[in-house]
Amino acid sequence: MPTYQLTVNGRARTLDADADTPLLWILRDTLGLTGTKFGCGQGVCGACTVHLDGQAVKSCQTSLKEAAGHSVITVEGLSKDGSHPVQKAWIAEDVAQCGYCQPGMIMTAAALLKRKAHPMDADIDEAFADHVCRCGTYPRIRKAVKRAAGGVK
Amino acid sequence: MTSRRDFLKVTGAAGTGLMLGLYLEAKPRPGEAAKATFRPNAFLAIRPDGTAQITVPKVEMGQGVRTALPLALAEELDLDWSKIEVVNANPGPDFKGMQTGGSTSVSGTWNSLRKAGAAAREMLKAAAAAQWNVATDQCRTEQGFVLGPGGKKLGYGALAEAAARLPVPKDPPLKKPADYRLLGQRTPRFDGPAIVTGKAIFGLDVRRPGQCFAAVLRCPVPGGKPRTWDEAKAKAVRGVKAVVEVPTGIAVVAESTWAAFKGREALAATITWDEGQARDFNSSTLEAKMRAALTGPADDVRREGDVGKALKAAAKVLEAEYSFPYQAHATVEPMNTTALATADGAEMWAGSQSANRAQERAAAALGLKPEQLKVNVPLIGGGFGRRLGTDFSTEAAQVAKAAGGGPVQVVWDREDDIRHDLFHPATLHRLRAGLDGSGALTAWAHRIAGPAVLRSWTGGQKAPSQAATESNGAYDIPYAIPAIAVDFAEVEAPTPLGWWRGIEIVPNVFARECFLDEVAHTLGKDPLRFRLDLLGDRGTVKFGRETADIRRLKKVLEVAAAKAGWGRKLPAGHGLGLACHAYDGRTYAAEVAEVSVVKGRLRIHKVTCAVDCGLVVNPAGLEAQVEGGIAFGLSALFSQITWDKGRTVQTGYHDFPVLRLADMPAIETHVIPSAEAPSGMGEPPVPLAIPAVLNAVFAATGKRIRKVPLEGGQI
Repeated sequence: MPTYQLTVNGRARTLDADADTPLLWILRDTLGLTGTKFGCGQGVCGACTVHLDGQAVKSCQTSLKEAAGHSVITVEGLSKDGSHPVQKAWIAEDVAQCGYCQPGMIMTAAALLKRKAHPMDADIDEAFADHVCRCGTYPRIRKAVKRAAGGVK
Repeated sequence: MTSRRDFLKVTGAAGTGLMLGLYLEAKPRPGEAAKATFRPNAFLAIRPDGTAQITVPKVEMGQGVRTALPLALAEELDLDWSKIEVVNANPGPDFKGMQTGGSTSVSGTWNSLRKAGAAAREMLKAAAAAQWNVATDQCRTEQGFVLGPGGKKLGYGALAEAAARLPVPKDPPLKKPADYRLLGQRTPRFDGPAIVTGKAIFGLDVRRPGQCFAAVLRCPVPGGKPRTWDEAKAKAVRGVKAVVEVPTGIAVVAESTWAAFKGREALAATITWDEGQARDFNSSTLEAKMRAALTGPADDVRREGDVGKALKAAAKVLEAEYSFPYQAHATVEPMNTTALATADGAEMWAGSQSANRAQERAAAALGLKPEQLKVNVPLIGGGFGRRLGTDFSTEAAQVAKAAGGGPVQVVWDREDDIRHDLFHPATLHRLRAGLDGSGALTAWAHRIAGPAVLRSWTGGQKAPSQAATESNGAYDIPYAIPAIAVDFAEVEAPTPLGWWRGIEIVPNVFARECFLDEVAHTLGKDPLRFRLDLLGDRGTVKFGRETADIRRLKKVLEVAAAKAGWGRKLPAGHGLGLACHAYDGRTYAAEVAEVSVVKGRLRIHKVTCAVDCGLVVNPAGLEAQVEGGIAFGLSALFSQITWDKGRTVQTGYHDFPVLRLADMPAIETHVIPSAEAPSGMGEPPVPLAIPAVLNAVFAATGKRIRKVPLEGGQI
């Protein structure tokens, strides 16, 4: 059985699991990083979003084999102390209700703002097209993204 | 005077009564100095370092109780908000009323928490006064300190031990609203920092030593049972540890969630089912039965005047059928529970909205007494009524027992969660209105036909309140009409049902407020003016078991309309629509939607909402409830669950769509200032969203939509 190497939140990891195991379950069940959430396993809710080499990806649709050799950042690794501009904006706008979908939203927001420092509404609509928040925090997500705009290096 | 053995009995609203025990020596938490920690009641502990631990008696599912309820206690006690720790209660003798639903968390328990805080405040003041040898009324409290004459000042932590020796006052004075420092201020969600860093622990995030994961293969048809299967196929999957039978199906227990899912997939390829009685059930048969029931016998709920006679005498009779489908909860965190069953007891971690019931039922399933099963309630990744059910927690306890050994987390995937929901049922509505020659509305008849949700709560029995429950939102039509008849005709369906945010009020108010709009337009009257005239100059009005203040309803309607610019000139293709309701006669809300329909495409631009829910504990939380409630209501305009061959056609977010960011309208919330007690905000905004939008669609296009969901080509 081959093993796979990847970097998670800056730490090198060697994993012994089936190649097709979704990165989501490696993070949650093997590495204990439960900040990345399971919502649908079908790639349509966004709760499991992480960064793979800086790009927002759905970890439920990314296999261990695909992630191997790459750098993964989860919500736990976005900042040491919640000081990432997106996290600060999320607090300032009091975005969360139940909070379950928010780590995925935050990872998408961080990747968007890295790519585009000052997104237009249409950019925000597109970036979050694959995300579901059943509590309906959308107006505050939009505000928080705009508040964090320009602050993500 | 009271003694230290006395109990402070604080009772909330019906069903949420709480007995607050007094623990002076008892129950120190591990590592705490028992004597120095001040525990005047089950809600509060003040440690020697001055930090306060507040135990929340309701569960947090996004509605903000872990912020709002501690605020009520902290207000009376003048706590330093930065020095509080919030913990969730465990069901048991101290917390018998943890059921969280029906927009009652704040209204039902805020007095208990205020009194708990006020009692502690009086005890801390008395302790300081004794120490300083001054009168208690010379002392006051501020930000975690007692202040006395001559600049004397002592922190609560320093006074904790002395306060713990004092009697608990039975009826401590409560602050006047004018003196509030925390209540009414915008307070950010307490759990915000933990949520944005991924540290917040939801049910699926529970990790116990030696924990396994399990997925249950359940028959897609409700009530169906496994007939044959080959567990060897599942056991051949790497990481699978056991395959066990439980009453709901076959559980695959594994080292990881993924292994459990893969093992279950392998098992599914081998299974045959006895699909049972419901195997032929489908939506079109049910619809035909409901349509027949629109004109058959029914249970009366409200009958005023003689509707039959009034309709016969009417110059014109309007009649319409409205339709609302089955809906799923579709919480983003799927159902799950982690359970541990040992020889002499059990423990579970269940995101339950009904922790006491979950404890009773899982204990019974394990052959234990409730007190032998400790229930922990982690954060809940969306409830909306789904987690009032105990199916998922009982099942997990059964899996843990059958598997033996360590803790097992039973994980539902998205398809499980949709397929095995406790659904909101479909209804058909027949509405008739009689208009006399002068253009007055003289008769109103609203017949509702569909399955009864209440039976899911009464063990299948028909409760005396069934028809009233199922016609909530219809029987309490607030308009003054000479003849009114509202009734409910039950149509049985073999589908699991449950409470869903907004409950029966959603379809009933949709039908009521849209049909009323039809009447207004038929008469050539402005829908706002028509409603205000029908509400009339009345005060408090009783509708069956409910009493509503019509003045408060008129006020929200007027405010929402004014703020939305009712009557202003709109861009081409735009329309405004409105709806209002007195939710259970306690929270008053009105919404005005602005929509446009361009080339058949509906866009919902804005919803303006005015609410009167009594005193607002946390305006930030209230606005979140309005935004979320409207999103939940609008979602239902586009989603449905349908049945074919006894199973749901839908299996996930791809075919049960939930409103997404791009489709979310701007929301504007206006609060009517009130000194009345808080009355609840979780559900009231939900039922108005659909009728406001569909009335706006009519204003924009002249097309009346009477069927939800809005499917392509309907506009």
